[in-house]
Amino acid sequence: MNLHKDWSIPAITAGFVAVLVSYSGPLAIFFQAAESAEISSAMMTSWVWAISIGAAISSIGLSLWLKVPVVTAWSAPGTALLVGLFPELSLGEAVGAYLTAAVVIFMIGVTGSFDRIIQLIPPGIASAMMAGILFQFGVGVFESLAAVPALVIGMLLAYLVFKRLTPRYCLVVLLVVGVGLAMTLEGASLEGVTLELASPQFIQPEWTWHGTLSLAIPLVLVSLSGQFLPGMAILRTSGYDTPARPIVTVASLTSFVTAFFGGITTVVAAITAAICTSKDAHEDPNKRYVAGVANGVFYLIGGTFAGTIVLLFTSLPGEFVAVLAGLALIGAITSNVSAFAAHKDYLEASVITFLATASGVSFLGLGSAFWGVMIGGVAYNVLHRRFDTREESSRISDSSR
Amino acid sequence: MKHIEKGVSLRRAPRDFLRDLNLENASTGLVAGILGLSVGVVHISAGTAAGLDSSFIMIWVISYLMINGLFGLFMPAYYRLPLPMANSIPGALLFAAIIPVVGLEAALGATLIAGAIALVAGLTGVMSLVMRLIPMPIVMGMVAGILLSFGLNMVDPLEHAMLPASIMILAFFVSSRFLRKVPPLIVAMLAGMAYLMTTGVDFSGVEFSMRFPEFVVPEFTLGAFLAYGLPLAIILVGMETPAGIGLVKGMGYKSAPANAITAVGGLGTMVSAFFNLHSTCIAAPMTGVCASPEAGRHDGRWVAAVIAGAIFVVCAPFYGFVVSLIEATPGYFIAIIAGLALVRVITSAMSIAFAGKKHEMGALFAFLIAASGLQILEIGASFWALVLGVLVSLIFETKDFEFVRPKTNESAV
Repeated sequence: MNLHKDWSIPAITAGFVAVLVSYSGPLAIFFQAAESAEISSAMMTSWVWAISIGAAISSIGLSLWLKVPVVTAWSAPGTALLVGLFPELSLGEAVGAYLTAAVVIFMIGVTGSFDRIIQLIPPGIASAMMAGILFQFGVGVFESLAAVPALVIGMLLAYLVFKRLTPRYCLVVLLVVGVGLAMTLEGASLEGVTLELASPQFIQPEWTWHGTLSLAIPLVLVSLSGQFLPGMAILRTSGYDTPARPIVTVASLTSFVTAFFGGITTVVAAITAAICTSKDAHEDPNKRYVAGVANGVFYLIGGTFAGTIVLLFTSLPGEFVAVLAGLALIGAITSNVSAFAAHKDYLEASVITFLATASGVSFLGLGSAFWGVMIGGVAYNVLHRRFDTREESSRISDSSR
Repeated sequence: MKHIEKGVSLRRAPRDFLRDLNLENASTGLVAGILGLSVGVVHISAGTAAGLDSSFIMIWVISYLMINGLFGLFMPAYYRLPLPMANSIPGALLFAAIIPVVGLEAALGATLIAGAIALVAGLTGVMSLVMRLIPMPIVMGMVAGILLSFGLNMVDPLEHAMLPASIMILAFFVSSRFLRKVPPLIVAMLAGMAYLMTTGVDFSGVEFSMRFPEFVVPEFTLGAFLAYGLPLAIILVGMETPAGIGLVKGMGYKSAPANAITAVGGLGTMVSAFFNLHSTCIAAPMTGVCASPEAGRHDGRWVAAVIAGAIFVVCAPFYGFVVSLIEATPGYFIAIIAGLALVRVITSAMSIAFAGKKHEMGALFAFLIAASGLQILEIGASFWALVLGVLVSLIFETKDFEFVRPKTNESAV
């Protein structure tokens, strides 16, 4: 291991920003779920500890093992499921369902069937789906402009200037400038943040049909379609040919352990992964794994001081995080958009995938990433697939006008 | 007048119209016309929100259809290009908001000056110069961003009206693959209508009415000009016209008459000022529909724009009736048809913006800004998309600009 040789400030910043984004965004849904479950704040801290440690261990382990920036997190669409299920669902039942879900995902991962599903998706469609997911974050930058013009314009200017001058350290500078602006302009305050060690609490699992049908099975579906699918797509479109099997396996094993402390399924991250796998993390793709490790380390710190970290991140204005995430993802959006635009022979299907994903439609409990691929897949087969030949040509016609 | 581009001919237009008319351009013209008619609903809601009385709002929309429609008949007929005319939606929102403040006559006076500014911009050839300086990928990034909402609105109904939405979208896909003779838009529309017929639509709110535009003498005040006239001029010259021209060029009509479109828009806006209307200009979404591959043969797509103009003129006096018809159909019906008509345009806009590997970042910023619908200083997103897109591209992609390389004689756009 050459971690001491490969480390770099941009990679570590990317890891940090990824953690920052997921603590300040998706964690809010987890809080909502905790509220509907009417649990104590000590139990809430245990939950945050569990999901953080789960993400930390799998992220560090997988990134070091595979030498690829594998960014893991907890299942965001999964937590959205919880909001509607509590308090009818008991805590023990929820944990039982987490365990069941972990076992099912483990089976799917270890048999390699997930890899086969991934292989079926044409690369342009995968990029289009990714672009559709990330698109909302890019647009979010300009949508925040109306609410907090000074902060957004300040960060936008900082981004343009430092991206040009020191592209490697742009994200660090942006983070510092953004926090500075948020504190001076928007009056964000870090007072009331105290250092506190989190103590995990063990929850006795309880297996019921109700928990399995209403939580475990949907959890498997949304985690695979909403997290593992786009997460693996982002790795593929960033040029990492990692098989899904080790990643799914390790993530589900981690989930199994953290479930006892209230941690929902650990999965591959999608949006935050894009921050760590893009050029902004490191010029050299072989050194971006450091960002994955850093991501894990910051989760470890976050988990250890669960209460403190959560307080810290929620005290920053939401727009600041939206703008930071959007600007951090500009590179990823550009590369995904131009990747699907380059596959001219089925561009229409890719655009339809993009539209369906970006629209954020969700029905039958499944999110837009899943529907994007499904609708795009139908469009691909109906509009572009040649029925006589099985060969899927991906020749890139160079447009020199 | 030397900057105004020459067209083909108006005299032979009726005969050529019949010669070039086909099922594709007739159906897309119909869709563009319906799309334009349905936009009147925006005027009605904006006017109502601003507290204008309903009789005034109705005359406003009727003038819009009548005047825009007349210009929309002649522009495409003269240039033989898909150049439908309509009015500026951001302009309409500004107009509705300013009337209670400065009064109708003063607002129309400011409209007259804004039109004159656009006319001068066209006559002096400023417009074609601006269009040459803005790189195509950035313009198309902006166009894709503006049209994107139509694409997203097409997918949204899948959530609430899954069955009819999937029937219409699937009908479009399947027929564009297997039924070469019938335009897929027609198939999608028929499929949607068949669904509506079988489930039953409530037409009880439909009532017949008829009115004509009314003449108003404008009045000039500085306040109205600064608050509304100047922004309107910037909207017309800086965002509506570049979006429309960019679109037509992007669809392969390299000879799009940038100056004439601006000048005629300006003239039309000046005429509009006497009839209770805030603007006449090229309309990007309708242009997208008329210029799209759905409109059939490349040199016959102008027919679609003429048909859209004719629909405007014919429907204008009966707009009250048309509105009640539109309101009787569920919202998703027009949203899906408009979205389907624009999918290929969005596709080719994205392809020009992002597949060329030039001005990528500028194009992305233009795309995101236009899609965000951002408004600063009362000026809409497409203007800022161009400004910031070019700025970002100048900072990061300096070498992609034409004028950075040694000068060549070809007028590459």
